Amino acid sequence: MITVMSAVDEDHRLILAARSGDAIAREALGRRVSRSAYLFAFQLTGDREASRDIAQDGALRFFRYLDRFDPARPIEPWLFQIVRNRVRDLARRAQIRRHESLDALLEHRRPEPAAADHDPAGEAERADLRQRIWQSVARLSDPHREIFLLRDFHHLSYGEIAEVLSIPLGTVMSRLHAARMNLRALLGDDERRFGREGSDR
Amino acid sequence: MTGDGHEFDEVLISGYLDGELTQQDAQRVRLHLEDCAGCRRIADDLRTMKEATLTTRFRVPEDTQWDERPRGAVSRILHDAGLLILAAWVVGIAAYLVWGIASDAESFTFENVLVFGLLLAFGLVVLSALVDRLRVRESDPYRKVRK
Repeated sequence: MITVMSAVDEDHRLILAARSGDAIAREALGRRVSRSAYLFAFQLTGDREASRDIAQDGALRFFRYLDRFDPARPIEPWLFQIVRNRVRDLARRAQIRRHESLDALLEHRRPEPAAADHDPAGEAERADLRQRIWQSVARLSDPHREIFLLRDFHHLSYGEIAEVLSIPLGTVMSRLHAARMNLRALLGDDERRFGREGSDR
Repeated sequence: MTGDGHEFDEVLISGYLDGELTQQDAQRVRLHLEDCAGCRRIADDLRTMKEATLTTRFRVPEDTQWDERPRGAVSRILHDAGLLILAAWVVGIAAYLVWGIASDAESFTFENVLVFGLLLAFGLVVLSALVDRLRVRESDPYRKVRK
């Protein structure tokens, strides 16, 4: 029998095991939280060093409140609120150096050539679009960048986004749409931006 | 409004793509997209952006590169207690030196200045760590969270 475990179920299991003192679970949870916090911090700041510090801080706080954390809840909304507050603190103290493009950490993985739907040209086009998207995400305003990241990369629900950003639920959709439209505009007006060249639309 | 003069709240397109609309609103958007080429194009572009963004993979540091692992409760208590005792020791020694210099000016030697400067610098570093720690506690919105 194949058991499919969702990310939330796996987190739940790890949290309970870590609480009971399982060293391996603590380590796995620490890595999982640090990675997630690092990625969001880097996407917000473009500063690897600051992101590493923020990730460690986030992981420490997570473990500090582990016994009080509801394991049925996803970790990200809680963690991202911590990361966002820390990024804002550091930015206020001018301790963030935005010197890297967000596409600096993109992983350019090649698909397996043996895959049935292997399409090198299509994959190259998608990789190019991804690169241009992440270059443009860095040019969004802070409120637009963070809401875009939370939904379109980290896949948080509107309710979770409202929690992270401390904004009304009704504001989420309008701000997110504005962010996406800005990004669409930044990607340019030419027909090639979404691989639509030669289409009849 | 999409800007081309027709009455439609374009924001709903995002809610539709995210599956966050009520059934009634989702149906309204679906019907509108069938009729409106401009909004359909926006929806297609946003969908393409969403898919490209969601399928992006980022490199993160190797697990071995995390300098500091989350500490357990005992480690944290020992660390905090050590920091507190160290701070008290620095303050005590500094106060003793100041008192010694003030009460007996002849003991004001070059060695005193060196030791005092060293302790003062050390004390400031410890103080900065304490201030940071207090600030972190104050800015944590989950500090009082109970299960």
